[in-house]
Amino acid sequence: MASGSARKAGMRLSSLLSGSLASGIKSQTAAASPWSSSTGAAGELGPFGSRFASSQAVRNRMKSVKSIQKITKAMKMVAASKLRGVVSKTEKSRGLWQPFIALLGDHPGVDAKKVSILTVSTDRGLCGGINSTAVKYSKALLKLSSGPDKEVSYIIVGDKARAILQRDSKQSIALTVTETQKISISFTQASMIVDEIVKDLDFDVVRVMYNKFNSVVQFLPTVTTILSPETLIRESESGKLGDLDAYEVEGAEMKSEVLQNLSEFQFASVLYNAFLENACSEQGARMSAMDSSTRNATEMLDKLTLSYNRSRQATITTELIEIISGAAALEASN
Amino acid sequence: MVILPATTGQMGVLPGHVPTIAELKPGVLSVHEGGQVKSQYFVSSGFAFVHANSVTDVVAIEAVPLDRFDPEEVKKGLTDCTQKLNAATTDLERAQAQIGIEVHSALASALGV
Repeated sequence: MASGSARKAGMRLSSLLSGSLASGIKSQTAAASPWSSSTGAAGELGPFGSRFASSQAVRNRMKSVKSIQKITKAMKMVAASKLRGVVSKTEKSRGLWQPFIALLGDHPGVDAKKVSILTVSTDRGLCGGINSTAVKYSKALLKLSSGPDKEVSYIIVGDKARAILQRDSKQSIALTVTETQKISISFTQASMIVDEIVKDLDFDVVRVMYNKFNSVVQFLPTVTTILSPETLIRESESGKLGDLDAYEVEGAEMKSEVLQNLSEFQFASVLYNAFLENACSEQGARMSAMDSSTRNATEMLDKLTLSYNRSRQATITTELIEIISGAAALEASN
Repeated sequence: MVILPATTGQMGVLPGHVPTIAELKPGVLSVHEGGQVKSQYFVSSGFAFVHANSVTDVVAIEAVPLDRFDPEEVKKGLTDCTQKLNAATTDLERAQAQIGIEVHSALASALGV
């Protein structure tokens, strides 16, 4: 019996000396306690014989939390630097669509049969809630625009919205565009996309849904309405478009040709601006998401360190007590 | 006064001009103030809207101040496009070469080469 207690004391002592031995002992004790990998027990020692397993597990958890903290901190810095690059480009691009609004006005309430909803979202995740916001508003827009003899469809830009919308609205998706940010966002890219859309899809109204960049912490879900040339003519003839008719047209022979160019140019400008604004919002949202993630990791690390130290000190204390009481028992028996 | 390179020719816009939507072709846009040329830009193409309140919006795909162009490059580009037009086989190639020639000759006449 004395040898048994001495053996046990020897086991624990050696694990104090070398961490690698502890893993060997952990495999012995792991079989004894299925609880050995639980690390939620802060400050507890668990069933007899499994205490070294839990300290090893806590140590592993601390290591992984620390690396998560470093990674999220780095991601935040990367997002901040990318944001700085895109913000000035975005602010300059806002002037591109403003003349069109000055000329044609903004008509979100226009009534049309064929409505397309263009959702701009990101390709990569870990950017907070901007994609789910965009999809939520797009679904609401689709519902608002649908009716008895109306055709509504989605044009999706970005992988994240596609993943969400494919689940329940697969039949309404007309077109998907991904990897827009692989080569940098440019007007050429936006106009190529517009070419494809105009070629494949016959629409009366396109509602472009994106997150407008207001500040690093605020992103406004925004809808811009673009009318097709036919709709433009129809609305201007019925007098709702302000005084488009008052404008002399210098250029092509027919007014409808000029209006078609105008509509496509407006579409491309709005899309270019929407891409840029969404990219800014993505970087800003990623910054704040990674920032809160780093903060959480730091908190978790602190808590884990405390519990680890507490359990380590309790282990040492318990062993000292047992050694001393074992020695005292030996002395008393002598 | 602003002189715009409209597809129907050079168009001068003074305050009080009738509201106009003008389609632009590649050319020089010059801003005159008090009889002096204040600034000149080469505009790739686009639209100009003259509003009733004497505000003119020029929306162009590319607009570059004229002093940023290199005359040698422009001459070289013009000869390249002329060669491409002669060697063009499909309608697409011919159209592309013709667009190139138009833009380069407008640039060349703007720069005075």
